[in-house]
Amino acid sequence: MKANLAGIRTVIMPRRRRERSTDDTRLLEVSNVSKSFGVLTVLKKVSFSVARGNILVMIGPNGAGKSTLLKIISGLLPLAEGEIWFKGQKINGMTPHQTAALGISQLFQDIQLFRNMTVVENVMVGCHLQAKTDFMSSGLRLARARVDEQSIFEAAMKQLSLVGLREKASSPPGSLSWGQQKLVGLARALATGSELLLLDEPYSGLLSDEVDKLNQLIFELQSQGMTILIVEHLTDILMGIASQVIVLDYGEKIAEGTPIEIQKNKRVIDAYLGGEQLEDEGS
Amino acid sequence: MLANTRVIKEIPKRVATAKRQNLVLALFAIVLLTIPLGASPYPLTVMVDIGLYSIITMGLIMLMGLAGQISLGHAAFVGCGAYISGILTTKYDFDPWPALFLAALITGGIAAFIGRFMFKLHGLILAGVTLALNLVFYHLVSSLIDLTGGAMGMMSIPPLSLGPFTSQNLFFNYYLIWIIAILLLIFSLNLSDSRPGRALRALNVHAGGSEDAAQVVGVDVTKYKVWVFVLSAVYASLAGSAYAHYTRIIEPGTFMVQLSAMVALMAIIGGRSSPWGAFLGAGLIVGLRQLLRESIPVLVGGLSGSYELIAYGIILVVALLFMPQGLISIVRRAAPRKRAVLDES
Repeated sequence: MKANLAGIRTVIMPRRRRERSTDDTRLLEVSNVSKSFGVLTVLKKVSFSVARGNILVMIGPNGAGKSTLLKIISGLLPLAEGEIWFKGQKINGMTPHQTAALGISQLFQDIQLFRNMTVVENVMVGCHLQAKTDFMSSGLRLARARVDEQSIFEAAMKQLSLVGLREKASSPPGSLSWGQQKLVGLARALATGSELLLLDEPYSGLLSDEVDKLNQLIFELQSQGMTILIVEHLTDILMGIASQVIVLDYGEKIAEGTPIEIQKNKRVIDAYLGGEQLEDEGS
Repeated sequence: MLANTRVIKEIPKRVATAKRQNLVLALFAIVLLTIPLGASPYPLTVMVDIGLYSIITMGLIMLMGLAGQISLGHAAFVGCGAYISGILTTKYDFDPWPALFLAALITGGIAAFIGRFMFKLHGLILAGVTLALNLVFYHLVSSLIDLTGGAMGMMSIPPLSLGPFTSQNLFFNYYLIWIIAILLLIFSLNLSDSRPGRALRALNVHAGGSEDAAQVVGVDVTKYKVWVFVLSAVYASLAGSAYAHYTRIIEPGTFMVQLSAMVALMAIIGGRSSPWGAFLGAGLIVGLRQLLRESIPVLVGGLSGSYELIAYGIILVVALLFMPQGLISIVRRAAPRKRAVLDES
């Protein structure tokens, strides 16, 4: 594990970006969020905020409540207690499509591409919010529906170009490698035109060159002003790209700070980077 | 790279598919519209039946096949169309055409109202509720005697007419029903390949979609379920109205659960993945029904009614075992160009 932590500093991208910004504008603010499934408490009064344009990485062992937290933010799961604010608006209680319309998009750990559609159609669904065409104008194929369809298609192809999968546009998602599927999922999330991107273990199952590619994309997105919240248990990759790191353990926030601070945090090393890490698959 | 994206406006394969589809559509329309020339009344009557069932089934394919939802009570909407048309024309002196469209509008409204509550449910419970709706409809129609004639039904519903022709004329009626069916087919095909169509496919968990993934990209899942339910109800209502103006007599028993089960069967057998499946499903089942009606009395003596139901059951089981994707999958396999496309990818 020590080796991993040492490696962090050598990983990717200029330091300047990593340390940019702190509290100028809070895009997302999570305060005192608790959640339990029956008797099992998954999150205990978790609070944090993400500044606009930052990359927040949330680490913690499996079962620490990270994925649950992402689903609560996007509205897929209701929260028991606490408040979530996005762009100065309270969003807890909103449905996922409402938070999506406000500018939050999510890439699931298991991607969940639509297997009954081609790759480009998957991304076109991501453009759903960019158009308004309804049943009637689509069924009658009115001029405005055709215009919309064309612009949706072009927007989707642009996203596919961004992730480098243009030539796979008409393939079924099942024919792509896991890493490529992640990229399609990312393209679909980006197509929503969101400001906050929630990535749930985006690196899991990726090959090393795919990891590099994803890192590059994430930096590119950040430089375009995207705010990103990443949940991972692979600490070594992420320390290099995070502006800010949060550590969750059994539903509790046990540490918060810059990557360097986290590496030195005694509690983190004990609780998380200790024995648990050995059990994590693939890390 | 950006310049490149601007040049390519469409994926060539997509254009090819669209072109081929238009060709098939044109051929299909030509064949259907030339059938009556020189045909005797009996096959035309059967074809009218097939057309009516196809329209209902197509709506159901949009609901079940495209969006992955279920309705085991669609006969209620067919009945709504038929009865509203009947009531408007006989009690309120409406002309048949406005009655037909108004009936579709009202039925759609009813479906929207019910759908808002219904689609908070899932799976078996949802299926149960749709079934219950059908029963409620039956008893409602049977008991509102002043309006609907109760169990006796309604008589002397005026036929639809266009210039000198009325739907009492078999040829006119054939064209009327099949033109509606073809127009709805075009509507359905257009819709499937569009923004709302993709949203519907995205939430179809049975075909590989994901409600969660659809929601986080901004698809209002409940709204789309309600809308496709409304759409399928409107198709059913149009078929119901056309039926009422064609037979001119309606009774509540026609719109019982048996009809719901039958159109669901047609949708499953024809193929849930494409509106084209409606014609295959309706054609096969109606064709078999005619065959059974003629052969069963000869084979076993007596009436064919209950044997018919047994036969449907057997067909359904066999169909689900050997072609879970429906007849349409066989047609697709036979089309060589489609396979080439799949191989490439």
